[in-house]
Amino acid sequence: MATTKLGFIVQRPPYKSENPKLALTHAIASQSVEVYLNDGDIVTADIAFVGDGVLNCKKDQKAMDLYKLTSTETHVKMALLLDLNVLVCKEDLDRFGLTENDIVLNAEEFGAEMTVKVVPFAEITKMMEGVNHLLFF
Amino acid sequence: MGKFTIGCFSSLVGSMSLDFAVKLAGTALEKGHKVDLWVSGNATMLSLKGQRAFKDYSHLEKPLQELMQKGLTVTACEACAEARGYHKEHTIEGFKRHSMDWYLASAFDADRVLHIGGE
Amino acid sequence: MKLAVFVSDYRVNVDTLERLNPEKLGIIFVQNGVYHATVKENGNSSSLLKKSANHYVLLDDLDTRGLGNSDVADNVKLVTYGDIVDLIFNEYDKTAWL
Repeated sequence: MATTKLGFIVQRPPYKSENPKLALTHAIASQSVEVYLNDGDIVTADIAFVGDGVLNCKKDQKAMDLYKLTSTETHVKMALLLDLNVLVCKEDLDRFGLTENDIVLNAEEFGAEMTVKVVPFAEITKMMEGVNHLLFF
Repeated sequence: MGKFTIGCFSSLVGSMSLDFAVKLAGTALEKGHKVDLWVSGNATMLSLKGQRAFKDYSHLEKPLQELMQKGLTVTACEACAEARGYHKEHTIEGFKRHSMDWYLASAFDADRVLHIGGE
Repeated sequence: MKLAVFVSDYRVNVDTLERLNPEKLGIIFVQNGVYHATVKENGNSSSLLKKSANHYVLLDDLDTRGLGNSDVADNVKLVTYGDIVDLIFNEYDKTAWL
């Protein structure tokens, strides 16, 4: 039985680039990876939004209404529903004048128990040090 | 020797990131490493067979086939490919197609992972 | 953490690298990132060269752009694809592509 930890670092704002969405969909795929692994082996995915990437977490996104596209907000909620660890950089939220009231923090409507953690960049650095591999998007 | 997983999300034409990824994969293979190459997003363009080799555009089908014969495993994100109209029948022989969890499974026992993001 | 960071653009539109402070940092200039190792804008070298790190530049990507050894800053080491594979496996334990 072994665990490999992956850290997904999202640095860019949503929609103009496919990167943030692919970060989330690939991280979410950690929940179905067992089909390729031996019993007991797992892959965990932590997601951190840093820099301009924190803009992915703005709530009340209307991408589905306007472009028929799943919003990054919904992808974040899916990640929470699947118990992924989601971190958002506090310093970057501050830089944009955003508070916890402005971003998606939970997915209670889907029954998710996990919540988004707004943390200093130092905490995100600790996560990066603790994982086996980093994937910057 | 170790296992090296390379993920590339950049398009074949325009960024040269796939040129870099394929060259790096080939060099790692020559050094005796096991190499998995995962392409997702716009990089799934790499999986299309029958692309004409103009000198003004990156063209990697031939070196890729040579590397696959030497043991390179190349896999495209199936959903990303289908979303772009790249169906199974359009895929280069030997090029695999799987869901995104394949990339994470490859990373599971990789000694090193290099993730090259997209545009 | 021993981190090898690939810089592939000259105009880097993310500030992540400035904020990273690993135990050991390698900065590998590839693609248009090679201009960090070679050009001076208004007489000033790239700020990335001032960062405490081991700096490398990919020879193929220099040659592709009409640049050579004499254009490269003193504290940057020229490397081949083979060298990069060895750096990844022997000198660093994680990678980042910015």
